[in-house]
Amino acid sequence: MRKLLFELGGTGAVAEMHDDIVPKTCDAVWNVLPVEGMAIHANWSGREIMLHLHGEKILRLPPEGPGRRGTTAPGDIVYFWRSPQMSRGKQLAYSSQFQRELSELAIFYGDPAGGGLAADDPARSGRDSNLQVSTLFATLIDIPKEFAQKCEEVCHNGLQRLVVRRLERSA
Amino acid sequence: MGQTRPMTRVQITLGSAEAVAELDEKDAPKTTKWLKEMLPIERQAMHSMESGREVYVVLDTSHGIEEENQTIYQTVGDLIVYYKPAIFVKPKWPRHIRDFLVIGFIYERDSAIRGMSGPLATNLVGKITEGIDALAREAPRMRREGFGKMRISLA
Repeated sequence: MRKLLFELGGTGAVAEMHDDIVPKTCDAVWNVLPVEGMAIHANWSGREIMLHLHGEKILRLPPEGPGRRGTTAPGDIVYFWRSPQMSRGKQLAYSSQFQRELSELAIFYGDPAGGGLAADDPARSGRDSNLQVSTLFATLIDIPKEFAQKCEEVCHNGLQRLVVRRLERSA
Repeated sequence: MGQTRPMTRVQITLGSAEAVAELDEKDAPKTTKWLKEMLPIERQAMHSMESGREVYVVLDTSHGIEEENQTIYQTVGDLIVYYKPAIFVKPKWPRHIRDFLVIGFIYERDSAIRGMSGPLATNLVGKITEGIDALAREAPRMRREGFGKMRISLA
């Protein structure tokens, strides 16, 4: 099982990819790594930070795997894509390039809002399910306290650089 | 004809943004009376992580706030007082039974105050009548650059 390393503010967390469940999504994410950018904190989904993908790293992937109508849980790493017309009003906190179409990695470092349902937002999925893609593709093996603390600080202190890279097996 | 009482106005300062709200003393008499006694308030501002475009401060008080003039349909410019679940503020065990008294405002649409698993009713204590545009610019800037203090005082 392939592993990912998330680095934020001098802390790190390791996730395992769900190659057995969503192999195409895992391949696509793996192939654009490393990615880095300024992580922003969620304001609907609870304890989640997001890394917006941009430039050649942007991913527009189809849905894959079992329909995720369940809840989001601490440790979930979700690939999320949103069609421009599904935007939640003005996203002035985002860079202008992300204010409409959005492609991101969502890292749930703690309890989600809405009992875990808020991140899925079925009411906003639209009649055409292709308007929004949300694929759980990895899970943090554990959530180090220091990493969670840094994630929370993004909510209070502003954007922070997040790097996601492959964690290659040592020889 | 009854005599019209002057409406209490409060000033809200967030970073470089200034706004004015009118308190709804008619429909929320207990909460607004308590709030006026609390002013001025100056605390670390925080952005909602669960309810959308809301900025709030946690109030250090043991005073109990009764439900009054409640709504689950908050709109832009609403000034609200309620108990926010600790899970969204400070996840200290037992996180599911703790909560914090907060006062906050909604600065843009697509927001709804949430409880643990659904909408949360809040005491509507006033309405921002001036400066909502300035708050709607300052809050996203602070989301990117970090939050400072929010001050609420009599105007």
